[in-house]
Amino acid sequence: MGVIELHGLRKEYRRIRGGRTVAVDGLDLEVPDGGVFGFLGPNGAGKTTTIRCVLGLVRPNAGSLTLLGADVSSGLAGVIGKVGSIVEQPALFPRFTGRRNLQILGRIQRVGRSTIDEVLERVRLSDRADDAVRTYSLGMKQRLGIAAALLKDPSVLLLDEPANGLDPAGIVEVRELIRSLGAEGRTVFVSSHILSEVQQTADQVAIIARGRLVKAGPVNEVLAAGRARGLVVKLADLPAGLRVLADEQIPAVVSGDTLSVDLPPNQAERVTRVLAAKDLYVSELRPEEVDLETVFLELTKDEGLGP
Amino acid sequence: MMLVGGVLLIVVAMVIAGANSHKPTAAQIASADAAFQKQFAECMQGQVLGPGPQLPPGYTSLAQFCADEAAPNVDTGLQFRDAALLLQHTSTFVVLLGVALAASLGGADWSAGTMTTLLTWEPRRIRVLLTRAVVVAVVVVSVTLFLQGVLLGSFRLAVALRGTSLGAPPGLIGDALQTGLRVSAVAVGFGLVALAIATIGRSTVAALGVLFGYLVLFEGVIAGLRPSIQDRLLVRAGGVIVSQQPIFDQNGSFSSGLSNQLPRVLLGLTEASVVAAVYVVVLMVLALFAFRTRDVN
Repeated sequence: MGVIELHGLRKEYRRIRGGRTVAVDGLDLEVPDGGVFGFLGPNGAGKTTTIRCVLGLVRPNAGSLTLLGADVSSGLAGVIGKVGSIVEQPALFPRFTGRRNLQILGRIQRVGRSTIDEVLERVRLSDRADDAVRTYSLGMKQRLGIAAALLKDPSVLLLDEPANGLDPAGIVEVRELIRSLGAEGRTVFVSSHILSEVQQTADQVAIIARGRLVKAGPVNEVLAAGRARGLVVKLADLPAGLRVLADEQIPAVVSGDTLSVDLPPNQAERVTRVLAAKDLYVSELRPEEVDLETVFLELTKDEGLGP
Repeated sequence: MMLVGGVLLIVVAMVIAGANSHKPTAAQIASADAAFQKQFAECMQGQVLGPGPQLPPGYTSLAQFCADEAAPNVDTGLQFRDAALLLQHTSTFVVLLGVALAASLGGADWSAGTMTTLLTWEPRRIRVLLTRAVVVAVVVVSVTLFLQGVLLGSFRLAVALRGTSLGAPPGLIGDALQTGLRVSAVAVGFGLVALAIATIGRSTVAALGVLFGYLVLFEGVIAGLRPSIQDRLLVRAGGVIVSQQPIFDQNGSFSSGLSNQLPRVLLGLTEASVVAAVYVVVLMVLALFAFRTRDVN
């Protein structure tokens, strides 16, 4: 059983002037226990609405939803103590210090001072903990939001776009933090539209577009789904190689200092044979690197939903 | 900030009042006291109310009525016997302060966006709102009692320096305390109404705008156009609770105790308490319903 399970989740918003917007459209999803789960999709795909549904902030129009085995509509209060979250920007009282903000939240579930110190240390905010939050940078606010989410020592963390607005150093920090949280055995559910971020942190990934699931599974498998479209060939005489391949009806183009050959990797032998027969020797031959972005574009291109 | 502002305003007001007052001379005091004793005695003999046991509404004893009727006439400005009256007359501002505090407490989480965070810690929304109502009640009572205490204390000081305690009845402090408690109770009631509107409107500004619009414009206009429905208006109910003076049917007549025929009471203390409670309960129920069912985006 998954830590988070969604079946046929649907949420639509009615507009004041009539009509309705479907934010989530029959979404099925199962998030396994432990590790980092990436939840990918372009802006407006329904990621935040899904997270809000999981946290009971928004009522779905249809479908079932369980969190840590509890039905969200009726049993959320029983499990919320094990769930930490940030939804969009972490909302904090700007005039209060970082520590005071955590104390206010911690009071709800009687979190002790030592825990507050620990989470501040963990997100590297101990030095600024007694400064007003309004003086914090965006990255510090984001880290304080994560600290707030960690106060409950949660087994599940839902982080909505945690790298939003962060500078490169901040992104690296948050990435490392997410990885370490996942490595501790917690389930970290991270939504993002920044594909490279998810690729570097997640063990599993689900891609949604227009409120529907496009693809889900281990990151490697999802990457494999769009992999192997071509080969990268490096050799000394690129124009000669291009001519030879063209003579053999093998489509290829020059791409920088390599040839990009439009053949699946399992036909690499044919390329080497053809080139070697004309005394052109390959110095490098590898499948084209496929990143998550490419896969995402590939998977969503039928719906015209690229980021 | 409101607390500091309130204290400063009270101090400034008392300095101005003290500057416009002066201590009566011994002769003035003796003359006023003699006149007071004479009028009080006449009143107690029934020379003011006339025959019959009926006391004017709001009075529980003849002595209480006579003490009010036969006020010592020293035109010195500040008189400590007006302490309870002072709290009554400043009650509008104290209640409005309570409204502003409650609206701020109710709307702050929506304005700051912290309601989302709060609900991810405590998803039982009814509990969240009821806890908030308790907090509003405690804060409003504390702040309004404190400010009324400051007002009373500074008034006592101003009287000691520039006024007189002549004619102050023995139970004055107790009366003033009761008045202060009634004012705070009304402030809590109005505060809960403000909290309910802030919860429904999800904004402090909405709560203040709607409530002031309703109280000042709607109730003011309605009370002017249809006096007969004053018994259902929140402001009138609050006024009756604070002053303990009922509102009479204006079509009746009351001629200063010379007649036993009293006009019909349109809104008495009990009815006023019920009216205020109905406003609070209905709006809180509406707020609970809205808070429980609406999405938090």
